[in-house]
Amino acid sequence: MDRYIDILKASGADAWEVFSTEVKNWEFYYIGHRLDQNRAKNVEHVRLCVYKLSEDGFMGMASAEIPPTETDANIRRTVDDLVYQAGLVKNKPYRLNVPKPFEPVKAREFDLREESDRFIKAMDSIHETATEYLNSYELFVSAVKRRLVNSEGVDVTENYLSSMIDLVVNARKDDHEIELYRLYHLGGCDREQLRLDIEELMRFGRDRLIAKPTPAIGSYPVVFSTDAALSIYSYFLANLEVSMVLRRMSSFELGKPVTVNTDGDKVTLKALRELPNSPSNFSCDPEGAPIRDAVLIDSGVPQQYVGGRMFSQYLGLDDTFIVSNWSVSGGSTPAEGLRSGKFLEIVEFSDFQVDGLTGDIFGEIRLGYFHDGEGNVTPVSGGSISGNMKDNLAHMRMSRETRRYASAEIPKVTRLENITVSGVDAC
Amino acid sequence: MKAPFSEYLNSLMPGLKKLVELLGQEFSYVSVLSTDSKGLTVGISRHSKSVGNKTMTTERGTVVRVYRDGLYSEYALDRFDPQNPEAAAKEISETLNAQLEVLKANSCRIYETGPLPDEPLELFVEKETGVLPEEADLPGLIALLSEISEKGLALSENVLDCITRAQSTHICKLFLTKNRCLRQSYVYSEGSVALVVGRDGQNKVGYKSVSALGGPEIFPGLADKLEPAAKNAELMLDSERIVPGEYDIIATPGIAGLIAHEAFGHGVEMDMFVKGRALGADYIGKRVGSDLVTMHEGALCAENVTSYAFDDEGTLAGDVVEIDRGILKAGICDALAALRLGTVPTGNGKRENFEHKVYTRMTNTVFDTGTDSLEDMIASVKYGYLLEGVESGMEDPKHWGIQCIIQMGHEIKDGRLTGKVVSPVIMTGYVPDLLGNITMAGTFSEVEGSGGCGKGHKEWVKVSDGGPYLKTKARLG
Repeated sequence: MDRYIDILKASGADAWEVFSTEVKNWEFYYIGHRLDQNRAKNVEHVRLCVYKLSEDGFMGMASAEIPPTETDANIRRTVDDLVYQAGLVKNKPYRLNVPKPFEPVKAREFDLREESDRFIKAMDSIHETATEYLNSYELFVSAVKRRLVNSEGVDVTENYLSSMIDLVVNARKDDHEIELYRLYHLGGCDREQLRLDIEELMRFGRDRLIAKPTPAIGSYPVVFSTDAALSIYSYFLANLEVSMVLRRMSSFELGKPVTVNTDGDKVTLKALRELPNSPSNFSCDPEGAPIRDAVLIDSGVPQQYVGGRMFSQYLGLDDTFIVSNWSVSGGSTPAEGLRSGKFLEIVEFSDFQVDGLTGDIFGEIRLGYFHDGEGNVTPVSGGSISGNMKDNLAHMRMSRETRRYASAEIPKVTRLENITVSGVDAC
Repeated sequence: MKAPFSEYLNSLMPGLKKLVELLGQEFSYVSVLSTDSKGLTVGISRHSKSVGNKTMTTERGTVVRVYRDGLYSEYALDRFDPQNPEAAAKEISETLNAQLEVLKANSCRIYETGPLPDEPLELFVEKETGVLPEEADLPGLIALLSEISEKGLALSENVLDCITRAQSTHICKLFLTKNRCLRQSYVYSEGSVALVVGRDGQNKVGYKSVSALGGPEIFPGLADKLEPAAKNAELMLDSERIVPGEYDIIATPGIAGLIAHEAFGHGVEMDMFVKGRALGADYIGKRVGSDLVTMHEGALCAENVTSYAFDDEGTLAGDVVEIDRGILKAGICDALAALRLGTVPTGNGKRENFEHKVYTRMTNTVFDTGTDSLEDMIASVKYGYLLEGVESGMEDPKHWGIQCIIQMGHEIKDGRLTGKVVSPVIMTGYVPDLLGNITMAGTFSEVEGSGGCGKGHKEWVKVSDGGPYLKTKARLG
């Protein structure tokens, strides 16, 4: 790191940053429970950012990733190029983050060998049957050291464990076999949570085997009770982003409710420094701003915007940061209370999306439970849902109970009233 | 000019050959892939302008693949010292052996695979390009993108931003085994114009792109993309929601490419056959589309962003006819999946970068053209939509479902475009139905490569896809 800093200091840049990420990682790939391949890596990514003020009052930025094998002479040449390139770019000036006091996040001790061993044992212990089983899975365990140094005196290092499981579960009945897919992001191995998540997935597999075509029911209440719901709440986070606010792409205004005449639950969204077993427990954001617990939306009323320093300063804000962990508080009704009357509960999508910019909602249904309001429940598959968040804000309902996924904790059950179901079979 | 091969990789070669030799004392097969790919990125928008050297495929590093006792293992590193290959050999051996100890302690069983063949082969390819990204006229490119962005911002009061982006990457890869030495160098570029418009709290994005096997010389073509991007953005602002149902559709070449990619691109990636994750394995030789459906896949079947000479396992590029007049003929295959299935690799073993594992991946996936004019196709539709603008897609090889998110549909009534637009559109369905209902195919074909492709929700690689205008039936919502 020192060699980059020395070269940047001598470069004539008006400001600079060095980001370094060192990753040591072990990976294991399985087909069934047989090892397909083992892999390891030991790499470092270094990115330099150079800022240059021009005589006409603008500030330019240019960045480069530097391979760790690069010679000092080549790094000097690259930095000289960056200073020149930054001079070609004209942005309104802003200041890089300056050091601010913060309490470091306490990283737990970890060892790649021991953590890998835990994951291997956890996956071996999953209860399978002749009809529900693991098709294949991939384990990734990474020890990461991230450091940011900038010309204003910021020097922050974070050490953390980041893990991932790519999992395919099969369910079979006679000659009919289906699969379900999950990509779990974790800090370290939480064996009990993994067991619960995979057992739930196997239950969905059993139900998908007997699923009927989704009826074409048109506008219908839809209940979300799996990780797809993260996309719904990410819409709120996206609309608090300073880049969206500055460009007038967000209609969220501080102090003004995101919707009026609401008869639904009002969203309370918080940024969190730490969340149990999150792979994103950081003291500072990637630009060196301390992360703190903060209420971003309080009972449906935006309280604070979030995001990087450039757009924050353009908006005149100086206490923002890039959110890593976040939570949405539970609503007023128990989860089972939201599963009432007519509704379609969808637990598996091909790729559920809520567009943060347009609010559009999309998803092909791989498994849902159709409740006809008369006590009949039918597993269904096929067809799609569509809608827009703006049409759903006023009537959105959230369960009192919450559930944690990777870097976020959200209501266990979310109900949207104004969704169009494009089914396969005529109703 | 020819894109010159990396001097850095040439300087590593003696050390890497020594590394192969050293590891060969412990392992019965050793291969090395070393990469040195440089790039250029310029992004211009209303409030933010930036220049950088990182693209989706820039990288410099080495991945070593070794084989012993039926098991393949890999180690990725980026600090290889050609003067001291012994240190790398020691690091690799110790780490992989430490992993094996953990696996042994857990009584892990191996998915046994045979050794890869290693027939002698030498290849040196430097593909033609106009300009290298390292030598691009940066002030000229910034001025070009700024001018397009400013023009876009001035088009109407609804325009919130006009984001222009240009990326160019000079790929250099070296593949070595005991008997093989393959080197390749080529340049690809991609650029886009995204016009974000908003009115009454509703936002829409019009998006157009360019891509090619070539250098920054393609970027002036972006200027022609502003007007259609702006037109589509405004049309979408005035759009209505579609009434869900099954419709006659005409897919533009971009949507045809998306269908090709999601339907029988992912559907015949043969590493999925090994895991029993693809229905395609049971349908080779069977009908999966109408007579009008012929589909190719391979780095050789088009010239675009992923038209390489050899893949990341040292297999030469190919051109596979996956579907011939509606009959599924063949899949695509990486080298290890080919060993396991008793077939030959097709040059489709790709990594996100040197740090990632090889999977069977697409390159160029393209429908063949037909004989119909677009006018005749529109005239044949009683009520339906001309679909335009790719947002995203999702594969489902196990069940042959398909999900395509599409920007807009132009309404066709009684054989004429009405001018009415619906947006956005989600197209879903059963792949053989979608392909089986293709009744007309256009004479004009286009291949686009401005996006990326994941496997599941990770492992992002460059791909391109395309085809002619296609008429079929689909479920829209």
